[in-house]
Amino acid sequence: MRVVGAIAGVELRRFLRDRSNLFFVFVFPLILVVLIGSQFGAASSSGRVVISGADSSLRAALVAELEEAAVTVSYAGADAASEQIARGRVDLGLELTDEAAAAFDADEDLTVVVTSSSSGGAITARQQVDRALNALQLRLRQEAALVGAGADPAAVDEALETAAAQVVAPTVTVTNTSSISEAFAGASGFTVGASAQVLLFVFLNTLAGSATMIQARKYRVVARTLAAPVATVQVIGGEALGRWVIAMVQGLYIMLGTALLFGVEWGNLALATLILAMFAAVAAGAAMVVGSALDNDSAASGLGVGLGLVLAALGGCMLPLELFPDSLQTVAHFTPHAWAYQAFAEVTRRGGTFADIAGDLAVLLAFAVVLLALGSVLLRRSLARAI
Amino acid sequence: MVRRYGELTAVDGISFEIAPGETYGLLGPNGAGKTTTISMIAGLLAADSGAVRVLGEQMGPSRVAVKRHIGLVPQDLAIYPELKGRQNLNFFGRLQGLRGKELTTRVDEVLDLVGLTDRAGDPAKEYSGGMKRRLNIGIGLLHRPTLLILDEPTVGVDPQSRNAILESVEALSGEGMAVLYTTHYMEEAERLCDRIGIVDSGQLQAEGTRDELIRLIGGLDRVRLDGSGDLAAAADALGDLAAVEQVDVDRTGLSLAVREAPTAVAELVTRAIAAGVTLADVEITRPNLEQVFLHLTGRALRD
Ligand SMILES: Nc1ncnc2c1ncn2[C@@H]1O[C@H](COP(=O)(O)OP(=O)(O)OP(=O)(O)O)[C@@H](O)[C@H]1O
Ligand SMILES: [Mg+2]
Repeated sequence: MRVVGAIAGVELRRFLRDRSNLFFVFVFPLILVVLIGSQFGAASSSGRVVISGADSSLRAALVAELEEAAVTVSYAGADAASEQIARGRVDLGLELTDEAAAAFDADEDLTVVVTSSSSGGAITARQQVDRALNALQLRLRQEAALVGAGADPAAVDEALETAAAQVVAPTVTVTNTSSISEAFAGASGFTVGASAQVLLFVFLNTLAGSATMIQARKYRVVARTLAAPVATVQVIGGEALGRWVIAMVQGLYIMLGTALLFGVEWGNLALATLILAMFAAVAAGAAMVVGSALDNDSAASGLGVGLGLVLAALGGCMLPLELFPDSLQTVAHFTPHAWAYQAFAEVTRRGGTFADIAGDLAVLLAFAVVLLALGSVLLRRSLARAI
Repeated sequence: MVRRYGELTAVDGISFEIAPGETYGLLGPNGAGKTTTISMIAGLLAADSGAVRVLGEQMGPSRVAVKRHIGLVPQDLAIYPELKGRQNLNFFGRLQGLRGKELTTRVDEVLDLVGLTDRAGDPAKEYSGGMKRRLNIGIGLLHRPTLLILDEPTVGVDPQSRNAILESVEALSGEGMAVLYTTHYMEEAERLCDRIGIVDSGQLQAEGTRDELIRLIGGLDRVRLDGSGDLAAAADALGDLAAVEQVDVDRTGLSLAVREAPTAVAELVTRAIAAGVTLADVEITRPNLEQVFLHLTGRALRD
C-alpha cells in the first residue's frame, strides 16, 4: 500500500507542478462558473424584464402587476432593450407601442411583443409576464362587461376598486408547470453552472493529465520503477489511485471554491462527495485508458481536452441537460456526465436522498469498473513497452 | 541467458558469475547485447531460456522481493525532470521500502556522495548533463544494493564528472558492493574491473582478468628499436634470447615480439648496442583490451 501511495503521490505532485495545469485546474473553472452563473441569472428575483415604450397607463398597470410578483423591471429604448436581451442581462423584453397604449386606454384589443433571452431565468420571467398580462386582460373584460351591462364607464373603475378592496380575492399561486422550470426550481444560476463545471473539469483535466503517464514511460522512470521491488499490480494501483486523487482534488476544489465564493449549495455534502468520487473513478479509468493506449503525450492531452469538451457538451454540462430535446437526452446518457449531472441536480436542487440517486450511481459505477479494468489491461501492456 | 527480439537473438547464451564485492565489466560495442543482458539480470526482462540467480534466488520480472538486492542505473536517464533532485530520491527510496528518518538520512548521504547536496532543491530538468547522470546513479545506490548495475554511466559526461563517477564506483566497490559495469570504453574497464567479459553479437567472447584476457591473444608485447649500424647482427643476437619470440628487421630498425617487455628491455638494449647498433629510439607497446577485442572479433571496439 505504501508503494501504491508513493506512486499516486508522485503523480499528483507532477500534475500540480505543471504550470499550465494550474491555470486550467484552479483559475479557469471559477471564471467559467461566474460567466455561466450570471448567464443563468441571480437566484432571487422572479426574472428581470426590460420594458421599452413611453409611459402610459398600460405600462403603469403592467409594471404594478410585475413588481407585485417580484419581477425586476427596468426601462430602455427599443435598441438598448434588444441589446440587453441579446447579452442575457435581462431575461425578457416587453415592447409597449403607442398603439398598444392607446388601445389599452380605449379598452380595445392590443398586442404586446415579448422577446425572451436565452438565459435560464427567461422561463420564469415569461410565466410572470403571462400572468400579469392575463390579470390586465381580466380587468379589461370586467370593465367591458360592466359597461356593456349599462354601467357608467366613469363609475366602473371606482366600482371595481371598491370591489377589489372589499372582496377577499382568492390568491392565485403560480406554480411552475413546465418540467423545465420545475427542474431548475430551487437552483441558483451558480448552482446549475457549478455542478456542470465540476463534471466538465474533473473529466477534462484528469484525461488531459494522462499525458504524464506517457511521459513517465518516455523518461524511463516506469522501467526504473519496475526494477525496484514493486509488483505490477502496485504500479497499476498507484496509477489508478493517482488519477483518482487528481480528479478528486479538481472536483473538491471547485465545490469548495464555489461554495465559499458564490454561496453555491451542494445539498447533502456526503452525497455530493459520493457522486464526485464515483465520477472521479470514471475519469480516472478513462485517463488510464488514454495514457496507456497512446504513446504521444501531446496527442493525449489534446485528446483529453477534445474528448473532455465533447462529452461535457453531450452530457449536459454546457447547455443544461433539461433543455435537451428527447433524442439528444438519449445520446446524452451514453456519457457518464449526464448521469452524474442528474445525480447532482437531485441532491443540490431537490434535496434528493441516496435512494434517489442510487440508479445514477450504479451507472457511474459500471462506467468506472469497465474503464478501470480496460485501463489496467492496457497499462499492463504499456509497461512492457516501457522497458 | 538467451533473449530474442523477433528474428534477432540479442543475447545468445551469455553466462557469467559475479562474486560478492567484485567489480565485473561487460565490454562490448553498440548493439552487443549489454543492456539486454542487464535487463534480464535486473528482472526487467524475462529470459527466453536460461536463468538469473541473485544470492541463490531465481530472478525474473515477477520476483519482486529479489529485486531488492539490485540497484539498477539505467543507460538512459531515468529521472522525473519536473521533480527536484531530492524528490526524485525520496520517491525511488520509498519504492525501495525506505521511509521516515532512514529515508531522509539515506537521501542526504546519497546527495553528498554524488555531489548534489547544493542543488537538491532544484528541479532535475535544470541540472547539467553530468549532474543528471549523477542523480541517475544516486537513485540506484539508495537502498545499498548487494549488486549495483551501472549501464554505461559515463556516456556523454565531461572528463571531470567522468572521473568523479569512476572514483565513486571505486569507493563503493571498496565498501564491498558488487558492481556490474558495462562500457565500451576500454580504459574504464581496465581501471575499474576485477574481471571483464567481452561481449559481441550477444555472445561472451572471452572472460577473465585484464592480464588473463591479454594472455589469451598471446600476450606478447611489441618492442621497437630504432637505430642504425649492424641491424642484422643485432637481430641474431636478440633472437637468441628466451623472452624474444620474433624479430623483424627493416631499414630503420628492429621490431620484436617479446614476453614481459618491461623486464626484458634492458637486456635487449644492451645486446643491440653490443652488436654495434646506435639506438635513436626505444618504444614498448603492451597489448590492451582494444587489441584483444580486435583479435577476438576482427573489429574495433568503437565504430
Ligand atoms: N526492445 C527491443 N526491440 C527490438 N530489438 C531490440 C530491443 N532492444 C534491443 N534490441 C536489439 O538487441 C540488440 C542488443 O541491444 P542492446 O541494447 O542490448 O545492446 P547494447 O550492448 O546495450 O548496446 P549499446 O552499447 O548501444 O547500449 C541490438 O541489436 C538491438 O537493436
Ligand atoms: Mg546498452
